[in-house]
Amino acid sequence: VKTPAAIPPPMGVDVVERIGNTMTLSLGPQHPSTHGVLQVVVEVSGETIERAEMEIGYLHTGIEKSAENLFWTQAQTVIERMDYLNPIGNALCYVLAAEQLLGVTERIPPRAQTIRVLMTELTRISSHCVWLGTHGIDLGAISAFWYIFDIRENVLDLVELAGGARMHPNYLRIGGVNGDIPAGYLAKLDELIEKFPQRMHEMRTLLQNNPIWRDRTIDVGIVSPEDAISWSLTGPALRASGIAYDVRKAFPYCGYETYDFDVPTRTEGDAYARFLVRLDEMDQAMRIIAQTRKRLETPGPIMVDDPKIAPPAKETIAISMEALIHHFKLVSEGFRVPPGDVYQAIESPRGELAYYLVSNGNNRPYRVRTRPPSMYNLQALKQMAIGNLIADVVVMIGSLDPVFGEVDR
Amino acid sequence: VPSSQSPSIAGTALDPTSVRPSIADAEIVRVAPDELRDVLIRLRGEGCTMLLDVGAVDYLEREPRFDVVYHLLALPPVVATVAQVGMPRRVRVLAGVPGSEPRLPSVADLWPSADWAEREIFDLFGITFDGHPDLRRIQLPYDWQGHPLRKDYPLRGPAREATPRPAFALKSNVPAGTPPSGRVAAALQKQRELDEKRPT
Repeated sequence: VKTPAAIPPPMGVDVVERIGNTMTLSLGPQHPSTHGVLQVVVEVSGETIERAEMEIGYLHTGIEKSAENLFWTQAQTVIERMDYLNPIGNALCYVLAAEQLLGVTERIPPRAQTIRVLMTELTRISSHCVWLGTHGIDLGAISAFWYIFDIRENVLDLVELAGGARMHPNYLRIGGVNGDIPAGYLAKLDELIEKFPQRMHEMRTLLQNNPIWRDRTIDVGIVSPEDAISWSLTGPALRASGIAYDVRKAFPYCGYETYDFDVPTRTEGDAYARFLVRLDEMDQAMRIIAQTRKRLETPGPIMVDDPKIAPPAKETIAISMEALIHHFKLVSEGFRVPPGDVYQAIESPRGELAYYLVSNGNNRPYRVRTRPPSMYNLQALKQMAIGNLIADVVVMIGSLDPVFGEVDR
Repeated sequence: VPSSQSPSIAGTALDPTSVRPSIADAEIVRVAPDELRDVLIRLRGEGCTMLLDVGAVDYLEREPRFDVVYHLLALPPVVATVAQVGMPRRVRVLAGVPGSEPRLPSVADLWPSADWAEREIFDLFGITFDGHPDLRRIQLPYDWQGHPLRKDYPLRGPAREATPRPAFALKSNVPAGTPPSGRVAAALQKQRELDEKRPT
């Protein structure tokens, strides 16, 4: 039995500690504004923060270890649960990395890539809806939450219609997507495309020029471009500081180079700039969705033409011995992936999400290392919080949009 | 139809990084632990300003046993448009770390973002980073034993294997020998009736 003295005490367990003129306070880990379980230990002088330190790991579930013990296709189910607001983005990144190792990237049918783009942009919108709603609640603007969750419901309905589930559809597959979009899908999508600009206009009317909102967010948590680089910020947090790095433009995947969209940037680097960048990103995502909608009118295959990876069509199993064997092999032992390592990045709603995959030639991934954008963005709070007021910690956390399923994995 | 599985892939590679297919995802630099900092400082001087990620891999039977992987990205530290950012240079630096007493110099003084990444590797792989300002466990509790992402660490964890099940999980609220009731009893009764009707 260990003596208590042998275990170093976690920071901030003594909730209030006074040293000289400063006080150490603990925010969280069960504070509603931390969007999960985050403990922020701040040293304050009066109301001004002099030092901030975060404790994470409360949601650690060993997803990377679990993924190493599942087949290549099975691992996707746990990987989707990392960033639970962007499940399809996580799956897409993993699937793209595995396809690079298999060497089938060039053979993925264009329709499958279009559906993937549609799905990731839909989840980008739904993720930003949650961010906007909860960020609003943190700052006392509750009405925005109800309006924006209406859009989120519509988006999740579309995800469910195609993938079969609202949150974790496991719709993408290594080699393509699980099934084609059902009949009547594009009509539903049209309804959303038509409704969306009006709703976004309402959101902007509610918040963008709201004097309370502006007072709470402008000049709060300023990040200079140099700091953004040295703290490895990516995504909207980096672009709000003026650096227009978007993985979709810099390292295009799934044919993003063929879509027409802008990368919204601001130069102020404060919480309001990050808010505006995300709002503009939602408009751009809808612009991409409108372009995918046109391309989806032409039918085509949705899985790679490789029976060792793609499961055979259900109707062929009854008549083809070979199809039956392939099906049995895929279900009972999966497929093998040639040995090698690969780094594949995508633009998730939070920034550069990447997988560093290592295969040793087996039917299970040898190592699944995630580059979690939330974790690096959140870490910058240590620097960002200094000199700000204690009430603004909530604003800064909200403006960084961390998802703790991804921070802790 | 060409298949990714032909020629068939057999066996497992001891060092997958040495037999990787030609994928143009990054420039790859392999360094020894003692020259790691010099190489990273040189790359940073060449414009690879952002340390995107630090990860680790345990190859167990290979020597050196661990790889610590640094992903660098060349972004301008000033306001830049999409065209100015262009397609930035990606560099991957792999440092082999021996299994006996694994340690590396820390880069937390060069990139503050390396702080949590190195703590995570210390926590989950047990690799020590010399010069790190605050090297503690980050994901797991402070009194955790072992390093779960090592390949010799069991999936369910020694603590779980060694822990006996709690008493309430062992006892049933139905005493042994109690005859079935409710839907179970009805289903059994139906099965008995069917069995009786069936000609033997």
